[in-house]
Amino acid sequence: MNQSDSIRTIRLSGELEIGRKDEIREALRRSASDRAVLVDLSDVTYADSVALTELLRFCVSSSRDAIPVALVVRTPQFARIVQYAGLAAAFKNFDDRDAALAYLAQSGAE
Amino acid sequence: MSRRIPIPLVLTLGFLALLVGVLVAGGVLVRSILTASYADAEHVRSARIVSADALRAQLDEETGVRGFSLVRDRLLLEPYSRGRAVLPGLLRRLRSDDGTLALRDAGRFVADADATNRRWLRQVAFPLLFVKRRNGHVLELHGKILVDRFRADIAAIDAALVRREKQGDAGAERAIGLANGFAIAAIVAVIAAAALFTIQQYRLAARLELEREKSEQQRRRAAEIRAAYEAEKRIADTLQEAFAQRVLPALPGVRLSATYIPATEEAKIGGDWYDAVQLPDDRVLLAIGDVAGHGIEAAVAMNKTRQMLISSALADPAPGQILERVNAEVVAAEFPMITAMAGVVDARAFKFSYSAAGHPAPVLFEPGRGARFLEVGALPLGINRDAEYATYCVTTVPGAMLVLYTDGVIEHSHDVLQGETLLLEAVEAAAGRAGQDPATEIREDIFGHHRVSDDIAILTIHFLNSAAVAGMPETAALRRTA
Repeated sequence: MNQSDSIRTIRLSGELEIGRKDEIREALRRSASDRAVLVDLSDVTYADSVALTELLRFCVSSSRDAIPVALVVRTPQFARIVQYAGLAAAFKNFDDRDAALAYLAQSGAE
Repeated sequence: MSRRIPIPLVLTLGFLALLVGVLVAGGVLVRSILTASYADAEHVRSARIVSADALRAQLDEETGVRGFSLVRDRLLLEPYSRGRAVLPGLLRRLRSDDGTLALRDAGRFVADADATNRRWLRQVAFPLLFVKRRNGHVLELHGKILVDRFRADIAAIDAALVRREKQGDAGAERAIGLANGFAIAAIVAVIAAAALFTIQQYRLAARLELEREKSEQQRRRAAEIRAAYEAEKRIADTLQEAFAQRVLPALPGVRLSATYIPATEEAKIGGDWYDAVQLPDDRVLLAIGDVAGHGIEAAVAMNKTRQMLISSALADPAPGQILERVNAEVVAAEFPMITAMAGVVDARAFKFSYSAAGHPAPVLFEPGRGARFLEVGALPLGINRDAEYATYCVTTVPGAMLVLYTDGVIEHSHDVLQGETLLLEAVEAAAGRAGQDPATEIREDIFGHHRVSDDIAILTIHFLNSAAVAGMPETAALRRTA
């Protein structure tokens, strides 16, 4: 996890499957100090329903607490999963990390 | 493969070897001390005999001289001659023993005895033997004084020898004590080694017993888990079998087909299902979904969600509203995440309205346009109570075919884009063949006869042209789940 100003970055990569549930859950653990969260999924190529559940619950929970969340999705395979899982419609998606950071910085300033 | 020797055994054997070495060395030491002590004692006893013989020889000399001096008979000189013959040799031996035995102060007494004997011979014996003296009793008295001195010297030598004998006895006693000490130490060491070995053996046995018990517990635990898994699988199988129906609804203008393949044994029971329920006015409710997770919990959630969805559709068949109502109940019931799609087919108007909750996009094949994915994109059920689900409407043409499916159809290689390409090709091939069971054809086209790791459900609805509609029989509306 990297700290860039007040933006927390969570990075996951590879195929997110049930076998990595604990790792994913630990990475997506909510923190009281969160002001804005960038979930960097640039290198993710696949996510099963268990991993998607963790990701969705984190995003919904953060959104409910008015914590801005931005997802960085770059692989077309995972972008398709993100699309039909509703993540693309319900949360901010970017294919560029700088754009995501800019969005979060702007959200935090508002 | 070399077998490792236990460290406790090595330590015990090493200790015993060290013990044997110490005992052998101790035995040799004690034996040498005792041998030297006995030799010394023998030498002392011999020296005491020599000193006694020397005194006897001195007395013989005196007796002979005094007898001859009284009667002047040479026969009476025999004791003198005998003593005179042996005494110098005896005194030499005493001097030699004095050096050998390293007797403290004894040397001067031997020298004094030798000198006293010489004085007695010179001042008493020779005058009495060779000169007739009138004052013979004076010489005899002087001789008696010298003999007494000789006797005192011999007594002092004997006392020194006695002291030396006692020293030797004390040395022997120390050696014997040392030997006893070695014996006791050996006994104690052997007992300690035996105790150490026994303790080690006991610990080893206890550890082996503990490992055996642990292994047995793990075996029992594995058997219990296996039994629990098999029981859960039987229950889930039974539930799915109970919910399954054999006949799809048949109504004019459309033909339905479906296939369901459960996950392989290793992947446990999935939560995929589909329903096709006839509604009034030649409409059909199509529902398909997938409960995240496996086992009884997923099977129960699947069945309840399916019932909620059908009930909701019967009350108000607008797909988006159906999903919103079901979502609220799924969130309230705290079910696992569920992806689902609800669609209503109007066979008369060639219309398909649908809404999807986190579910893969349906495929629409139309003659002349090929197969394509329809629009989707909303959160799965059970994630957010306030989630909104849009209703999409598509108007199609005779000969078109709709394909609904679960994610196992496109995610088997974990490359969704590749899976979607294969699916489009399979749909077009099946539509081109215009067979009676395109769902099975699509599945076989993608997977062949291989077993699948995840559940697979495919539901198709084919909009028939007017000629085909004329030949359709009317049957009861039934639903089907898997």
